[in-house]
Amino acid sequence: MNTIPDEAKLALWLDDELEGDDLATFEAWVSSQPQHLVAREEVRQWRALMASAVPASEEPPYPDFFNSRIAQAIREPAPKIPAAAVRRPFWKTLLMPVTACAGMVLAFWVGAKSQKATPEYIVEGAPRAIPVEPLVYTPENGVEAEWFSSDVSSMVIVLNGVRAIPDAMDFSASTYVPNEREFDSTAENRSTSPANLNP
Amino acid sequence: MNRRHWIRSGIALVLFGLTHSAAGQDDPGKENMGQVSVVVYYATNSDPKAAGAKVARVSQKTQDRLRAEQHLKFKSYRLLGEDLQPLLRSYESWAQPLKPSDEVLVKFEARSLATEAMVTLDVELWLSRKKILKTDARLEGKRSLYILGPEWRGGRLIIAVALAEKSKLGS
Repeated sequence: MNTIPDEAKLALWLDDELEGDDLATFEAWVSSQPQHLVAREEVRQWRALMASAVPASEEPPYPDFFNSRIAQAIREPAPKIPAAAVRRPFWKTLLMPVTACAGMVLAFWVGAKSQKATPEYIVEGAPRAIPVEPLVYTPENGVEAEWFSSDVSSMVIVLNGVRAIPDAMDFSASTYVPNEREFDSTAENRSTSPANLNP
Repeated sequence: MNRRHWIRSGIALVLFGLTHSAAGQDDPGKENMGQVSVVVYYATNSDPKAAGAKVARVSQKTQDRLRAEQHLKFKSYRLLGEDLQPLLRSYESWAQPLKPSDEVLVKFEARSLATEAMVTLDVELWLSRKKILKTDARLEGKRSLYILGPEWRGGRLIIAVALAEKSKLGS
């Protein structure tokens, strides 16, 4: 049989809060435990020290003044709620929303004006003394691009490593048919005459 | 309906009018600054009939221009297709010169304010729906950007990107 009491009972006994049969049983057991007796004595001394240093209760400062203010507040009737505000004229009621709307309209107008006032930078006549190399980027693996400047064209880019288009693919459906609205500047003077078509 | 409701309705009406007018304004980014033409040529040193029986020849002037480029010299040239797309102020455009096929697509976007004589573009070449090339090009007048592209039927495709003349544009 386990006769050793548990930790909870030990804590209660140390605080002198154990009562009844539990206290008697515990006292019987603890009489042979001098270390617990010493511990309880220390706890008791500590408790006495704390009780002497800290008052059990403390009155609030100026209790009479505090209580008198509460009593006064109870005695005096509640302040009267002021009557409903005087109705403002109709034009005053409209003043704020109309002003807000006018402000918004003004902001839109100023914004539109400032947008139109953005200067246009014409780069046609920009100096070209400093040659700028074009950026050529090939994201596909295995594809390389070389660029060449030219006097005839703007630039020539040669792609190497591009997957060939299958020969089975037919572009005849997109074959160019010249008309009156010819627009291409790179393939001018094409004619609709049969002589210009392959047999 | 009391006066408060009238005020609320008036404010709602004004706000609706403001938002409606703002949305109705023309988007300056959609301003058409010009037209860009994209042309696809078939260049070969063998029989050009391989491109197809109905493929058109190109003018002698264009052939001379192509042959003037060292890397574009071929025996024969044929015109496979072309497309004309507007050059917008702040939006990209896509050209599909081999319609209805999307084997060759060119995406371009203005990098500067375009004039009839010059524009700088961001250009991307897409082949088989994959981006193959990205570059910037300064197009002046009739001077094109030429790209020597993939092989096809014993030859190569040449993609030409150029500013289109406004005088020749349809409305």
